[in-house]
Amino acid sequence: MTRRSRAIALTAVLTALVVVPVGAYLKLGTRVGTRTESLRWRTFPIRYFITNAGVSGVTAQQFQDAVTRAFNTWHAVENTQTSSTFVGFVQARPFSEDGANVIGYLSQPGQDRTLAATTFTVDTTDGRILESDIYFNTIFPWSTSDGGTADRYDVESIALHEIGHFLGLSHSALGETELIGGSRRVIAAQSVMFPIAFRAGNIADRSLKADDIAGISDIYGTSTFNRELGSVSGRVTKSGRGVQGAHVVAFNPKTGKLVGGFTLNEAGDFVIAGLEPGPQILRAEPLDDGDVTSFFDDDFDVDLDFRVTFYERIVAVPRGGGARDIEIKVTAK
Amino acid sequence: MQRALVAAVLAIVAGAGAPAFAQSVAVPRPKTVEISGGVTLVGGYDFGASNAELTPNAGTSPPFVEFKTTNRLKPGLGLQGRIGFVITPALAVEGGVRFTRPTYEVRVTDDFEGAPNTTIEETLSQYVFDGALVWHITGARFAGGSGVPFLYGGAGYLRELHEENAFVEEGIEYHAGGGIKWWFGQSGRIGIRAEGGISIRDGGFDFKDGKRMVPVAGASVIYSF
Repeated sequence: MTRRSRAIALTAVLTALVVVPVGAYLKLGTRVGTRTESLRWRTFPIRYFITNAGVSGVTAQQFQDAVTRAFNTWHAVENTQTSSTFVGFVQARPFSEDGANVIGYLSQPGQDRTLAATTFTVDTTDGRILESDIYFNTIFPWSTSDGGTADRYDVESIALHEIGHFLGLSHSALGETELIGGSRRVIAAQSVMFPIAFRAGNIADRSLKADDIAGISDIYGTSTFNRELGSVSGRVTKSGRGVQGAHVVAFNPKTGKLVGGFTLNEAGDFVIAGLEPGPQILRAEPLDDGDVTSFFDDDFDVDLDFRVTFYERIVAVPRGGGARDIEIKVTAK
Repeated sequence: MQRALVAAVLAIVAGAGAPAFAQSVAVPRPKTVEISGGVTLVGGYDFGASNAELTPNAGTSPPFVEFKTTNRLKPGLGLQGRIGFVITPALAVEGGVRFTRPTYEVRVTDDFEGAPNTTIEETLSQYVFDGALVWHITGARFAGGSGVPFLYGGAGYLRELHEENAFVEEGIEYHAGGGIKWWFGQSGRIGIRAEGGISIRDGGFDFKDGKRMVPVAGASVIYSF
């Protein structure tokens, strides 16, 4: 999965992967026979290597430090179980299909809108991840300085996004964008997993947001996560029919936290899990802040023809349970 | 059986001394039990603004606001029941429960993508189980002694349930105030009680830590025996 610098390229890096049409968050999945399984690591710690090469302004050691911090940020999410180990520096480059998880720089001048990308090699007989690599495109300037460097992209921020993919998360749509000269630019976002990166010099994505935490918890959550948090589920409908591909956001007015989800079938069904118990405000919007292929497969029809709509009631989310049968009725534009 | 006998004896003793309304006995009488039930009104509370904020691309600018909300708990009308024991003419102890169904209201405005402003709600179930000391100001009796002003103060347990009992929030409640009790008839057993005061809540449904204060008022019918 890719992290674009300005605009969404229409290429899919991971053609073998699909978005899993179940659960709360967009997760990566893979076909296993006739089934689709969530892509997740099954044994920990995950062992990874770093390519022993730096770029202008960032040594291999500084790069490794930043990547390790990003891994640790994901591992620190409460009530989840993930861990990783840096094994050592290697000469191998990412994407070499050598059976090792390699993270490093790669020159990809043809991908001039892709800052970084993550690939997987999966055993299609059982869905096991055999290898995952992450590359950072050397055609962009990089930095690991504590406060960020103007005009250079922050390694740790981009690593946090890519490691989100590495752990099985797909993209979040919690952000707003604008089109400038045919290129899409992010105005604001509230998820590290938003597909379009902040501008160079911005280090805001070094920390996870509520949406990211809900997503990783959905994959690797412990029993405590399931016991302490709750979910909402229901449908988005237009003239009585389901709306597919709607972006539904739960806003907790008490904490200000935002967690997003999608309607993932023709019935317009959605589930948003990992919510703090208590009142939530639900808002449904069309998926118009990024290229649809950043979120779904090409053959997934997304309905963009409806107005942004708030659900008519405050939804009380129970601890360890779900608020169900919510119907958000939207109207055509 | 023993309990019925005691009650009968108390009634006889009380009845024996009960004068006509204009000459009513000074109340409340010590060693009596007061049961009351009626309505209560608990004031509302503003939780304030809470905005759905995104992190701006321009890192130093203020947060990007996706939409704004203003939040308040509207006043709730409900029921209350109390039972008290008059220790001396001036002092009583009591316990009770107040139940109200306030509405939590959110006004949603200024949506970045143009969603119409709207107001959405949920109904809470709010319980307060409390105990209190009541001080009758016997020196200020009125209506020939059948009415008496009082002051009260106490604490209790606050339990708030969100809609469909989906989620419970708990806290502590402290209250203080004043009112009047006024008994009717020669027996002095039945009367009314009206009160008003403040309720300080720590915990329960709130947007921030700390205490909040709401006005409370109530009116009840009292039966004394």
